[in-house]
Amino acid sequence: MTTANIPLKLTRKDFVSDQTVRWCPGCGDYSILAQIQKTLPDIGYKKEDIVFISGIGCSSRFPYYMDTYGIHSIHGRAPTLASGLAITNPNLSVWVITGDGDGLSIGGNHFIHTMRRNINLNVVLFNNRIYGLTKGQYSPTSRTGAKTKSSPMGSIEQPVNPVALALSSGATFVSRSLDAHTKHLGETLAKAAAHKGTSFVEVFQNCVIFNPNEWGPLEDRRQRDDHIIYLEHGKPMVFGKNHDKGIRLNGFMPEVVQLGDEFSVDDLIVHDETSKQLAYTLSSLEYPDFPAFMGVLYQEEKPTYTEVLMDQIHTAQETKGVGDLNTLYRSADLWTVA
Amino acid sequence: MAKELLKGNVAIAEAAIRAGCQAYFGYPITPQTELLEHMSKRMPELGRTFLQAESEVAAVNMVYGAASAGVRVMTSSSSPGISLMQEGLSYIAGSEVPAVFVDVMRGGPGLGNIQPSQSDYNQVTKTAGHGDYRPIVLAPSTIQEAIDLMVLSFDLAEKYRTIVFMVLDGAIGQMMEPAELPPMRELPTERPSWALTGKGNRDKNIVTSIRLGAQPLADFNDILQEKLAVIEKNELRYDELYTDDAELVIVAYGTAARVAHTAVKHLREENIPVGLFRPITLWPFPYQQLGELADRVSTFLSVEMNAGQMIHDVRESVGRQAEIEFLGRPGGIIPLPEEIEEKVRDMWRQKNLAAQIN
Repeated sequence: MTTANIPLKLTRKDFVSDQTVRWCPGCGDYSILAQIQKTLPDIGYKKEDIVFISGIGCSSRFPYYMDTYGIHSIHGRAPTLASGLAITNPNLSVWVITGDGDGLSIGGNHFIHTMRRNINLNVVLFNNRIYGLTKGQYSPTSRTGAKTKSSPMGSIEQPVNPVALALSSGATFVSRSLDAHTKHLGETLAKAAAHKGTSFVEVFQNCVIFNPNEWGPLEDRRQRDDHIIYLEHGKPMVFGKNHDKGIRLNGFMPEVVQLGDEFSVDDLIVHDETSKQLAYTLSSLEYPDFPAFMGVLYQEEKPTYTEVLMDQIHTAQETKGVGDLNTLYRSADLWTVA
Repeated sequence: MAKELLKGNVAIAEAAIRAGCQAYFGYPITPQTELLEHMSKRMPELGRTFLQAESEVAAVNMVYGAASAGVRVMTSSSSPGISLMQEGLSYIAGSEVPAVFVDVMRGGPGLGNIQPSQSDYNQVTKTAGHGDYRPIVLAPSTIQEAIDLMVLSFDLAEKYRTIVFMVLDGAIGQMMEPAELPPMRELPTERPSWALTGKGNRDKNIVTSIRLGAQPLADFNDILQEKLAVIEKNELRYDELYTDDAELVIVAYGTAARVAHTAVKHLREENIPVGLFRPITLWPFPYQQLGELADRVSTFLSVEMNAGQMIHDVRESVGRQAEIEFLGRPGGIIPLPEEIEEKVRDMWRQKNLAAQIN
């Protein structure tokens, strides 16, 4: 065996491109970029088999900064380019990088259909609840009442809930993390990469220029644990810096309880990431009314679109034999024109 | 009203409001976004409709819906966004409802960039969607002219029940200039007779672009062509500078015409008899007027902020015997006066040389 055949162990540096990263100083995107670059060496793909596809927006600058293959595509259309690529070359690790504007405005339609098909790809949606690239207009995830450059009196629209939309569209892996919690983000991205089928990761991302206060204490290392529940499969939903709070079901309604005399850990919901019903319930609990859920909300093993497609092709070939274009052409109704 | 220092996009939005725009639907895109932002502030306080759509596709169809109800409505965008609107534009044209579009053009094709450009000349003047129709296309070269043409846009749209485009490049959208806004007009108190307002006692109104059967669609197209012929006759607008004694004429519109104007003034100081012909309506295009100029001028220079789009209409106007040269900067670059001057000097030298040889 020559040294040329020993696979090199990739490191984060292998995924750093030669481009100068151009986001605003302090932007949450830097953290997401770093975590993805850290995650990729361990996902079991060769560098040349990894593709990043984006649409339009600040997040969509991503492919330039990755030393992988990449496409900076059309506003909202990244999931469609990714679908075409992932179906025709199932051996690739395909990543869609999008934002709340790109993925849920003009791309909302494509988002739904990508989630329901279960093609093997990963969708990472940076949610900062604002249009950053056009300098501060409200987005489909902006809170009702959000005052922005295009909603000076406050937005009158109902925001999209990305994880709820992904779930109800039929996604087989739905998760959430946040830019400021780098360890959690890295772990969540690794789980998304390991999932077979479409993985959805919503990342709460801080736009420090146009919407700096959106995530409030979630972005503050000292305060965040009182406002976040880290979901772990099979574990009760305890949260708080002192692990003294939790979520229990009061009838059908989840509620935050203080652990102590009245309630113990045994009263809390135990997270089951295979339960779609629980995932629906969790997805409907929105921060800041409830602590923000982070981690894998839902995961389901299901054949991918490509697998089912290949099954159909095999079935057709088994019953009718391998196709021949010439035979097919001459088997149809033909007319002889005198 | 006194002159104020106004930013192009904001001036256009305010002019539309004062012209009586009752509803605005749009989507943020550079270099047009300030127009949408001004609308978001002003429309609610005047009791009018503003909605930030989820895309340009949504916006154009919201315009279609409001226009069908006889509401004075507009949208604005920039080149890639206008590309997204093509389907809706064609349906609006087929339905003959009035609608006003502002296109603050940027460099293309594709995402291109956000620099000033005249990349959409073909897109907006050669139908803007499928089918046989043309929108009226107005091209201002100053902020004052943009204000005036914005008001005119609504009048023309309603008069002819047609699409009116005002196209400008990102430079006019982004720069500031002293200009005077018009007074606030009264809003119409009644909806047009063809609008969908609830039938009541009148006959049923139908707004549609569907005409099944070959003959009904052919008949409708005949009517549409007759209307376009009337627009061509009545709504031509253009400007001429120093063309009376010109032996060489620059054809340019928008920002390119401003730059050409500077170049012409400098060249006149060098006694080079150059003039400027500036189409204000890109459709209808002043074919005949430019053609008449070609009866006494044999040399033309088309200056555009693209790779050469209007030049084909210039060629059609002046005929095969005239000499036409092109100076254009695609990719979002504004040509400098010096570049135009150098080009014209060169053309003038060649022309004199040719005259000596002959």
